[in-house]
Amino acid sequence: MVFYITYIVVGIALFGFIAGFTLFAVYSERKIAGFVQDRLGPMETGKHGTLQTLADILKLIQKEFITPAAADKILFVAAPVIIFVAVFLGFAVMPWAPGLAPSALNLGLFYVIAIISVDAIGLLMAGWGSNNKFSLLGSMRAVAQIVSYEIPSGLALISAVMITQTLHMQEIVINQGIASQNTLLFLGLWDVSNIGGLLAWNVFQAPHLWVAYLIFFIASLAECNRAPFDIPEAESELVGGFHTEYGGLRFAFVFLAEYAMMFLVAMIGVVVFLGGWNTPLPNMGSVRLADWTTGWIWGIFWTLSKTLLIVGVQMWIRWTLPRLRADQLMALCWKVLTPLAFLCMAISGVWRVWVMG
Amino acid sequence: MNITALVFYVFATLAIGSALLLVSMRNIARSLFLFFIVLFSVAGLYVFALADFVAITQILVYVGGVLILMLFAFMLSNKELLNDLQIGTSHFFALPAWQSLVIAVSFLAILVYTSLQLGADEPGWIAASREAGTVLTPTDQTIQHIGVQIMTRYLLPFEIVSVLLMMALIGAAHLTRKEATS
Repeated sequence: MVFYITYIVVGIALFGFIAGFTLFAVYSERKIAGFVQDRLGPMETGKHGTLQTLADILKLIQKEFITPAAADKILFVAAPVIIFVAVFLGFAVMPWAPGLAPSALNLGLFYVIAIISVDAIGLLMAGWGSNNKFSLLGSMRAVAQIVSYEIPSGLALISAVMITQTLHMQEIVINQGIASQNTLLFLGLWDVSNIGGLLAWNVFQAPHLWVAYLIFFIASLAECNRAPFDIPEAESELVGGFHTEYGGLRFAFVFLAEYAMMFLVAMIGVVVFLGGWNTPLPNMGSVRLADWTTGWIWGIFWTLSKTLLIVGVQMWIRWTLPRLRADQLMALCWKVLTPLAFLCMAISGVWRVWVMG
Repeated sequence: MNITALVFYVFATLAIGSALLLVSMRNIARSLFLFFIVLFSVAGLYVFALADFVAITQILVYVGGVLILMLFAFMLSNKELLNDLQIGTSHFFALPAWQSLVIAVSFLAILVYTSLQLGADEPGWIAASREAGTVLTPTDQTIQHIGVQIMTRYLLPFEIVSVLLMMALIGAAHLTRKEATS
């Protein structure tokens, strides 16, 4: 019976991590926004505003639950939970360090792609349940966008899976570093199985995966409804999009889901393309940097730092690029990203058969 | 009763309970969201049958695709039409539904027939493969078997399905295309 307690502890630990990350990410997002727009950002609460998000969450927890009179009560209440749980379930298969993953599923990557798509149901539920034009429009835009961008992101992931030949997240990571049993070729030419580091990452094993990663990154921005793809929440047109009617703790859950989703998609990108928990430092002669920096604690450190770096790029992009129009968004998805992703997939097949042979 | 059996019965009750609620509900929006629960718990039951690939595909295709399409169709359809649908006959066994009654009764007959065939114990072919050692264990890699089978034994159905999907895609693209003004 003890391992059932372990399951619960792992779940609570993950939830605690997501909550802590959200507090940190909201603060850093506001600071980055301040930096990009040449202002200070939050400065009043605590030193340099460090306690600002803590104060915000306290305020959200204290707020009254307000349900609009004409709303569909059940759907309205259930929606934030479904939105959050869909993203939270995705964390179940993410590998953090060698041998450290909540669930070592054979079909890990496939599972993550599938479970993220449940998010769309939650969004529609929120939009319909609120009984508000802005909410409904926002959620329909969000879902149309998520469903379309799942195609290029899925194809980009498939092109990486064709190189690694497995859907097991932990094995995908192992095949990108010194722990691998296979021979790893840098750019398909130079055997780096014992050198490891940056040179053994998937994007360096097969350089066309850089394009695949770029496609995945752009599509993942659209799937989290982040700028420049934030037309579902376009403040100037739709108030707040699907979460217009939400307040208090329910709004906090929607927000938690959004930041958890950012972390999750960044982590999927890191695991599949950028080496996961593998160190970026290669072995050089007698300086065994890769051997020294691989391990349990180092694994968590590398996963976290790479993922947070990608999350930082997401924030930087949000405050730099203007919002796309709806037709531009669809044109980008169907006319640019999808054909490019198909091309990547074709190159992956050729690469696997002739170069890695 | 161990926890695995408990989880199984929770999924089964959820699936049957929400399916019953779904067909008896007047509110179409809510019943579509209940359909989500049905699909999800059926996916959970697939996991118990060691068909994890089918379970995930069910979520990806039905929850992430078909159900969203149904919701979109519902939200974009005419309000008058929906009202007519919602007010319609309220009897459980209404006469216009005799076709569905036929289907339901024949399904029930098949189920009863199969369970009588199986008897109280497992059927012979399961026992035979258990003795021969050709059974799957929960840690097996099912996806490799599926890939090999699709590319060898089921290649023709696979190709036919892909051609069919291609036709559907081309048809959809053709329908959405603006006609040239003549």
